Amino acid sequence: MAFDDDEALDTFITEARELLESLEGGLLQLEADPDDVETINAIFRSAHTLKGSSGLFGLDHLVGFAHVMETLLGHVREGTVRVTPELISILLPCADHIHRYVEGVAEGRIEPSAAEVAESEALLARLAPFDSVAEVPAETAAAPSDETPEAAVPRAWNLRLRFGPDCLRNGMDPLALLRYLGSLGTIERITVDDSALPGASDMDPETSYLAFEAELSTEAPKSEIESVFDFVREDSDIRIVPRDQDEFIGRIASMPDRDRLGDVLQESGAVTPGEIDEALRIQRERTRAGGTVPIGQVLIEQGIAPPAVVEAALRRQLRTADSRSSDTQTIRIDAGRLDRLIDLVGELVIAQAGVGVHDRLSEAQSQVTRLIDEVRHSALALRMVPIGLTLRRFERVVRDVCVDLGKEVHLTITGGDAEMDKALVERISDPLTHLVRNSLDHGIESPDDRRRMGKPARGQLRLNAYHDAGSIVIEVSDDGRGLDRDRILAKAVDRGLVPAGAMLTDHEVFDLVFEPGFSTAETVSSLSGRGVGMDVVRRNVAALRGNIEVDSVRGQGATIRIRLPLTLAIIDGFLVEVGSSSFIVPLDRVTECVEFPADDRDHDHMNLRGEVLPFIRLHQLFGLDGEDARRQSVVVVEQSGQRTGLVVDALLGEFQTVIKPLGPLFSELKCVSGSTILGNGDVALILDVGPLITEYADLERTRYATSGYPGRRMAATRC
Amino acid sequence: MGKTILVVDDSASVRQVVSIALKGAGYDVLQGSDGVDALKQLDGRRIHLIISDVNMPNMDGITFVAEAKKLPAYKFTPIIMLTTESQEDRKRQAQVAGAKAWVTKPFQPEQMLAAVSKLIAP
Repeated sequence: MAFDDDEALDTFITEARELLESLEGGLLQLEADPDDVETINAIFRSAHTLKGSSGLFGLDHLVGFAHVMETLLGHVREGTVRVTPELISILLPCADHIHRYVEGVAEGRIEPSAAEVAESEALLARLAPFDSVAEVPAETAAAPSDETPEAAVPRAWNLRLRFGPDCLRNGMDPLALLRYLGSLGTIERITVDDSALPGASDMDPETSYLAFEAELSTEAPKSEIESVFDFVREDSDIRIVPRDQDEFIGRIASMPDRDRLGDVLQESGAVTPGEIDEALRIQRERTRAGGTVPIGQVLIEQGIAPPAVVEAALRRQLRTADSRSSDTQTIRIDAGRLDRLIDLVGELVIAQAGVGVHDRLSEAQSQVTRLIDEVRHSALALRMVPIGLTLRRFERVVRDVCVDLGKEVHLTITGGDAEMDKALVERISDPLTHLVRNSLDHGIESPDDRRRMGKPARGQLRLNAYHDAGSIVIEVSDDGRGLDRDRILAKAVDRGLVPAGAMLTDHEVFDLVFEPGFSTAETVSSLSGRGVGMDVVRRNVAALRGNIEVDSVRGQGATIRIRLPLTLAIIDGFLVEVGSSSFIVPLDRVTECVEFPADDRDHDHMNLRGEVLPFIRLHQLFGLDGEDARRQSVVVVEQSGQRTGLVVDALLGEFQTVIKPLGPLFSELKCVSGSTILGNGDVALILDVGPLITEYADLERTRYATSGYPGRRMAATRC
Repeated sequence: MGKTILVVDDSASVRQVVSIALKGAGYDVLQGSDGVDALKQLDGRRIHLIISDVNMPNMDGITFVAEAKKLPAYKFTPIIMLTTESQEDRKRQAQVAGAKAWVTKPFQPEQMLAAVSKLIAP
């Protein structure tokens, strides 16, 4: 307890009760009239006074709590936080909390009870959303000294004190300050410099003319000597210089690496933070006046630090720079600025495509194309971060889940240095967590089961990442029980996802676990149950323009493979024309382009080198106007191992596509993932191949199931 | 006879604690509960130091300081303002008004005594 006086404490408690009463009254009044400035001021003052007086009694709990309230109310007063019924209804319980605590103090309990601490934390958490006031309460103790403990040796200082001319008028008595200085140690010697004193007739008795030079021997650090003159520093010239410089020089030489001269000097104790600030201010003024002065020179010129000490610090700084230069240089950049750069580069790509339309042959043009491509690559590379950090987080997940489930699992992480877009890394973390948990929950068996099956008791979980053809692939594999093909199929038939008796490949069967509504509480495979929806995982991955697939051998384990683009900002596209509209097909989906055989015009599949290739007529699918072109082409796209043809009117070739997301109005649109602007200013929609194929297949299936009538045309919005 | 200090704060407990500390150090203490109340006490009697809060009802500390500085008898009286960290701009205003010294709230009585003894001796 800071201040022991029962009488004073009684006063405090009475006062606190009154303050709380007016605080509560004020809050209620404010609820009726939220704009009442007088009431806001009164409430603020109550919290302010409570904080101030409780600090005197060392009631730190109350100081901290009232501080947060005061800060919030301060913002209310300034108008940055609005008075709402919600705000009032949280501030009222805050006042109650203080009330309870004050009553506790009245009963002689200074320390808050555990329940009170918990209550205050809960209340502060509720206050936090209103304002960023969750800062640390103001320090009640004296400011910590920035000196090293060894400073407790008496040391000699030379002081030069030139008080400002207004010093006396401001109520500052130099003699009182010198007397206080003497209380820090011993003033060995003091001389008065009266050279500024004018003749008696010119002298203004209210003006201070005298300067002093003193020699002080004290154990106090420099910052404490300096603080004696806190109140006069602004218009006075105070210099405090150590007599023995060797000690500081020695300390500087043995200091750990520091980048800045000021930090070196400050840590040595030769210069205080206030002095550094002053020197920086002088340096800024000089720079503004057109000159550049090193900070060291300012310190010497101003007599703040002796030249020998500054020189030692400079040597130290140089040594630091030497040892740093070999380290990797990195800078932290605001992601928003990076996005802006990438956006601009994107615009550049578009603009450049426009030039290409008019002047395709120019050699300079092709050089610019190449350069822009390089700029684009390096701009995108700025966003790239290794995926390793995200993967390593799973070490903890695996450890904790294993403890919960009583399983033994060893996690191996490989390919952590594979890089991908930062935005993707952040958004893939949740789906990955689902997958890892699924593997641990259902994939890997308990140690006993494993032993029975002749497997090592300890299961293996592997996270692997690698780059593959412009994508990044992340694999989650385990050596657990794998997927039960027959049971998945049975379940799918049961749920009506697959007609009974359908012949499906392993891949198609495993793909079923990603179907909505497939996962149930009942464990049918290593990947379902617990309601962890694999369909959600697939949806998340698809939203990142990626895909997901499963490989599994029953009894030996499963591998889930997520394939993602490296970035979300720009893709390589393939530009096609249908009627008068242009579309972009992501290039990584395109396997080949062939001419549309005239014989197959009436079918919905064609013969591609002996294989059946189903195709989709974009013209009809999107209900576009105009006739089909006389010679059409088929763009063959591949999705999850399945090939499909897209019938288009013209192939316009590769196109670097800057993705512009669709507005919220079109967020339900499934087959289009975005748009882009072409060189000639037209808009082209980017086709989302995966959903396009599945949606089309669904529509066809419904069509056959219901009427059998081949009405192919449907509205684009349905897709 | 000791030197006289006027303590101005709307919190009775702050006034009381500060008074007890100052009296213990050998000063005489007068009290004011706000700017208006404090100004009434500046009736020409000898006051060596004024300690004033900033935020007070009726008349705030800054107005009080500016008013006090206008009175010839208290032109040179040193003034300590009680400020908080979050009131840097208020501190500036107080300095312009004529209060060149300050103690940051919440403070311990010893910090207050140190600031006082920089300005006057008991």
